[in-house]
Formats: sequence, structure tokens, C-alpha cells
Amino acid sequence: MLLETRKLCKQFGGVYALNDIDFEIREGEILGLVGENGAGKSTLIKILTGVYHKDSGEIFRDGVRVVIGNPGESRELGINVIHQDRNLIPAFNGIENVFLGLPYEKRACIGVDWTKMKRRVNDVMDELGITVNLSLPASHLTPPQKTMVEIIRAMMTRCKLLILDEPTASLTDRETEKLFALIAKLKEKGTSILYVTHRMDEIFRLTDRITVFKNGRSVDTVGTANVDKEQIISMMTDNWVSEKAKANKQFGAGRLQAEHIASADGVVKDAGFTVHSGEILGIFGLGGSGRTEMLECIYGQRPTAAGTVAIDGKTVTKSSPANSLKNGMALICEDRRGKALVTSLNVKQNIVLSTINHYARFGIVNENREVKDAKEKIDRLNIRTEGPKQPILQLSGGNQQKVVFAKALMSDPKVLLCDEPTQAVDVKTRQDIHKLLRQKADEGKAVVFVSSDLKEVLEVADNVLVMANGRTGKQFINEGLTSEQVLACCYAD
Amino acid sequence: MNKKASLADFMKAYGTMLAGALIVIVFGILSFDAFFTFGNFINITRQISLLVIIALGATLVMSVDEFDLSIGAMASLGGVTAAKMAVWGAPTILCFALPVMICFVIGLLNGFIVTKFRVLSFITSLAMGTVIGGFTFRFTGGATIFENIPKSFTYIGSGSLFSIPLLSIIMILLTVFFWFTMRHTAFGRKLYAIGGNEVASRVSGINVTLHKNLAFALCAALAALTGVLMASRLGSAHPTGGDGFFLQAYAAAFLGRTVFREGVPNIWGTFVGAAILGILANGLTIMQVPTFMQDLLTGCIIILAVVAQKIGHGDAK
Repeated sequence: MLLETRKLCKQFGGVYALNDIDFEIREGEILGLVGENGAGKSTLIKILTGVYHKDSGEIFRDGVRVVIGNPGESRELGINVIHQDRNLIPAFNGIENVFLGLPYEKRACIGVDWTKMKRRVNDVMDELGITVNLSLPASHLTPPQKTMVEIIRAMMTRCKLLILDEPTASLTDRETEKLFALIAKLKEKGTSILYVTHRMDEIFRLTDRITVFKNGRSVDTVGTANVDKEQIISMMTDNWVSEKAKANKQFGAGRLQAEHIASADGVVKDAGFTVHSGEILGIFGLGGSGRTEMLECIYGQRPTAAGTVAIDGKTVTKSSPANSLKNGMALICEDRRGKALVTSLNVKQNIVLSTINHYARFGIVNENREVKDAKEKIDRLNIRTEGPKQPILQLSGGNQQKVVFAKALMSDPKVLLCDEPTQAVDVKTRQDIHKLLRQKADEGKAVVFVSSDLKEVLEVADNVLVMANGRTGKQFINEGLTSEQVLACCYAD
Repeated sequence: MNKKASLADFMKAYGTMLAGALIVIVFGILSFDAFFTFGNFINITRQISLLVIIALGATLVMSVDEFDLSIGAMASLGGVTAAKMAVWGAPTILCFALPVMICFVIGLLNGFIVTKFRVLSFITSLAMGTVIGGFTFRFTGGATIFENIPKSFTYIGSGSLFSIPLLSIIMILLTVFFWFTMRHTAFGRKLYAIGGNEVASRVSGINVTLHKNLAFALCAALAALTGVLMASRLGSAHPTGGDGFFLQAYAAAFLGRTVFREGVPNIWGTFVGAAILGILANGLTIMQVPTFMQDLLTGCIIILAVVAQKIGHGDAK
């Protein structure tokens, strides 16, 4: 047994984040760790990597009891973690980042031997079959390249256990394939991998065994070959009903028309679509296809070079987020922490952020009305919170995302632009969000649903539009549509 | 375990207040007769009034996550402009209003440069402060203005109502006004939102540029008002008279961030911060402690307050 925990417990403010966790990972295996948000996955990772300290319980490495007091000690045990939000220093180049926390190669008398360091990094890269331009600062790297640099960093030391936390969250399918190939290679070399993700297909594709967490407890560990997706999901959640697509294909008038959109920075070259009342239009594209950028252009958040946007047939003249909201269009940003939430404000203040003027008379905010409306949204969207005045950061990821939705819905938009709205949320919240979008469409709103998860797009959308290289391409009716058909368009040129 | 956590929480929320109370108690014990008198209390409110007013402005700019380092220079400019105008025989109301308006415009310019060209406000306002300082020097020829200042101009600075100094009353009114603005108006909420996350605020339809500009402009106006009030109080104005306020104002605002648990710039916090600095100066002066010791102690208190707030941040979050 490479690593084992016995009766591991960790409490936060009297609540068990981990409760009697018996967890084990074998030499050279890929173990999947799944569970809803708040199930305790992150807490376990943080204890194994020395960020948190356990309250009680024991940890064994190769059968020997160990104490992990800080991240350094964890690394010495051969445990490395690669996080969702990549931990690189933006201004450092690849080599400097790889050597973060590692002793530098010294020259005989003084100074750092960069040539030797570069050679060592190159050796590791050759071994793993990775190519990344190491002379570029991390801020110039794409998300997958950053992941690669982190993996190189992990493999510089004698890494026995590599923990991957939602590694594909911002990767495209092709990039994901590359990562998977790398994971296979690492496994071949005998490195154990703890793979944490919400994405079931990846779990089933990669792992040897799956451990399921629920509410801070380990439910079970099963061999991947012996279970299917439904079984795992039913182990993760108490109530989960598989959603069936509705056959409702009668749309109303066009609500949002975007034509020949091009962004000033050239990422979006020529994009356009029409979405109708009652329709959920799914937009799928690989990373770098300009999905997010196109939405931001339409919303007025990103400078455009060309293009027209019309809402309910009326052309929008001065494009800005404020005007878009006024015209009845709201955007759910992909980057929740960066672009959607103000983390220093509480739940209520975030919910009314874009509609604050409605609550003010002569500039003075009527807090009672604010609380009342926020409460209504909290109930409607089933946001799990202590109350409207709880700091937003104390909510789980899924509930934070619901707050983002609540904010968007406060302005009662006719057009709802959603960019990766279910990214890194738990299965239940994902279902809730899907339901909510369908409900809004049924109310006559137009919904644009952008996701890098093709299966999700096929699950949710009425029509599917493909985007590649900054251009919108073919639009499909989502009836008997297969992922191969859609992907074929993405890779066409 | 729990008890320890709650103690840390308590220290985070009230550590600064506690330190303030401790200072009062120490002075009370050491020199009860001179310190613990109604007269001295009133005296302290007047002594801190100018610092509070200029620190309110600093708090506004800090709430949108920017800095204005030109406030000291603007206070100086405000002071000499008002004094010159008073000497020239301009109506008192104009002596007060015009410098404030001039600096309001300079503040807008600060904001414009910061928001339009995305330059760090730190650098922009530092340079702007230097420009203003140079101008003020040219304007006055480097001399203190003190001759022929009419009584009407010095009335606000030295007068009192029911034995409460007008300066103290102005300070309280402005503090309440800006507390209300930050706490209960859409404008204040937007400033805090911008300070918390500028991009998210923009996506949420808030006019970030406008609100940042207004924060800079209000900050500058308050700085000018501080300078004018100081000239009115002293009956004179020196071309660098307000410069010293700049560090004190930010010290008060940073101390204020540690008060009331919020961890964000807040108006009453700033008031308490300025009060602590004022009480410290007052008490030490009464005890005839040399100025350099006062500086030394003030600096240490600020560091302690900031550190105390961070204690207990360890494992939990």
C-alpha cells in the first residue's frame, strides 16, 4: 500500500469535513476520487499535502506511520498535487517555475547554473514526451501548457503520488487527450495517481478503482470495471433522477441576433447566430475557439472590431455590460471568482449587485426589500446558505454558482448567456442549473449555453452551434445528434 | 480548541478597539488630572478633526482599491489658495468653496489618468502630488501666508457652538454623512463592489470608470477642505502645511481596516483609527514625551494592530 489513512477526521467549526476516512492508494494505480462539492475531497487533498492538519487519525506511507506537517514534508514523501487553479508565478519562465521550491543548481564559486538546470528539465521533458517552450513566462502559456509545467515540476523530484484536482476543467478535448496520454505514461513509470474530478467519463476512462465520498465519509471503493456511471452517481448522492430531454421544439421569434462579430484582439473573427424565444442554443467549441470571447463581445464586456447585435429586433448601439443588462441580456461568466462574484461582499449583496439601483430611492438602499428579494431567490434556486448575509466565500462552489445565477435572474433577462455554467459544480447543482435553464426557455426567454463538455451540450441544448478558430460554423438540430458529428466540424480545418 | 478560536475571532474584531481603550487607560493612570478632563476630551476632538476629514477621503479611494498619494499636497494647495483669497478679500464662502472645487477637478484628473490609461494610481497620484507641490510653491513664493487674513475667514476654524468646536461638529457631520453613504446608498455599495472585484462589477453593469473618478474627486475635495480648515484654524497657511497629513491619513485608514471585523476600508473604522492616533499624540504631549518618541510609538501601534488582526488566520481558512 503506497499511502493509507486510518480513521482520519477533520472538523471545521464543529462540522465534520472528514469523518473516519479509511482511504488507500496502491502502488502504480490510478485511483478516482469522486463526490459532490463539499463531500470532503479537497479537505483530504489538503491534509495529504500538508496544507491542513488532521484532527485525528493516522497516515501510513508504505506501511510506516508518517506525520505530514507542511507542504514540504508532503513533497519529501513523494506526494505532489496539481490544482484546478494552477500555481505558477506568472512572471517566471518555465525553468524558474519548475525549480520553485527545489534547490537551484549552483556553479562552482557563485551564481546559478542555468544551463545545467535547463538540461535537467529537458531530461524530464524527454522522458515524459512533453514539449513546452520553457523560455516563455507562465503568463504567456495556455492552460494545458501550464498543467504540463506543473507536471514537470512534480516529476523533478521522486514523485510517487501525483494528485490531479480537476485537471481538465479548462482543457479542450484535444488537450485532454494529451494529458491522458501523459497520465498513462506516468502510470507506466510506476507513479500512483489520485484523480479528482466531476467528469464521470474521465473517471471511467482512466481509473483502476474509484473511491466515493459523501458528506465527509468514504462510501466505498470499487473496481472501475465492476460499476457503471449510474451506480457511482447513486453512491454519491441521495436523490438523483436522470433527466430526460423534452421534445419541445416550437420556438418563438428571434430574441438575440448577433451578426459578423469580430473582437478587437482578433480572437473572434466572424461569429454570428440567432437564438429564439423558448430555445436553448448550445455552443460547442474547443479551447481557443473563441467561445468565451464571442459571448463577451456580444455582452459588451470585450471591445469589438465589427458586428451587430440585436435584441428583439432592435439593434444595440452602445455596447456595454450596463446597456446589455438594460436591454435584457445577462451573462454568466465562465470565471466565477474572477468575473462573476465580489468575494468581499455577502450573498445578498452579490445577488442584487447588478440591480442595486432598483432598491435605491434618492440613492438610499432599502435593505428590507433587498433582503426580501434575495431570500426569494435563495429559496427559488435552493441555495444552501445560512442566510442572505453570509459571506459568499463560505458557500460551496455549486451554491456560489447559484448565487451568480440569482444575480443574473434579478434583472429578469430576456436573453441569458451562460458560459460554462456548470464548471466545477456538483452533480446535483448541475441538474438544478439544467432544469433552471429549461424553465427559463419555457418561459419564453432565449438561452445561450456554452460548454466545453460536449455531452452536456447534447444533453441540454435544442440546437447546437459549432465554433472553431473564432468563427461560428454549422448549426445542428439536437435530434439524434452524435458527438462524432459535432467533433468532426471542430476538427474540420 | 473552540475557546482559542473565539479568542482569535475576538481579537480580530476588537483588537484595535482594545488597544485604543488600553491607551486611554494608561494615560488615565499616568496623568489623570490633565488627561481625563472634559476640556481635554473636547480638545482631542478638535485635534483629530482635520485628520479624520482627510482620512475619510483616503478611505473612499481605498474602498475602490486605489490610492491617492497627492492628498497631502492637495491639502497644502487648498490651504494656501483659501488664505490668499481671504487676503484678497474674497467672500468667505468662496474661500472655502473654490479650493475644494479646484481639487475636485484635480481628483477627477487623477481618476481619469488611472482609469483611462490604466496606470497604477500609486504612481499617478505620487507624480500629481509633486506637480501640485511645485505649483503651490510657485504660487506662494514659498512663503507662509499670515498677514491680513480677515476674522471672518478664521471664524470656522476657531469658533465653537455650545463650547463644542465647529471643527469637531464638521468632523462628526462628515463622518456620519460618509458612513451613511458607504453603508446605505447604492453609490457606496458600488464603490465596495469595485474594490472587491472590478471585473465582476463591470460585468454586473456598474460604471466602474465613473465611480472610480468620483472616489478620487471626493477624496481630493476632502483633502482640500482639510487644508482650508487648517488655514482657517491657524489663521495662516504654509505651502507644505498639509503634506504631513498624507501618511497620517493612510495610517488611520489602515488602522480602520482592522476595526469592526470587516477587513475592508470603513468609515467608522477610519474614525477610530484617527482617534487612536490623536489620543496617543495628545496623551504623549501632555506627558511631555518628545516628538520622536511619539512617532516611534505611533508606528509600533499601527504594526501591532495590523498583526493582531492577522493572528488566528492560521489553519481554518
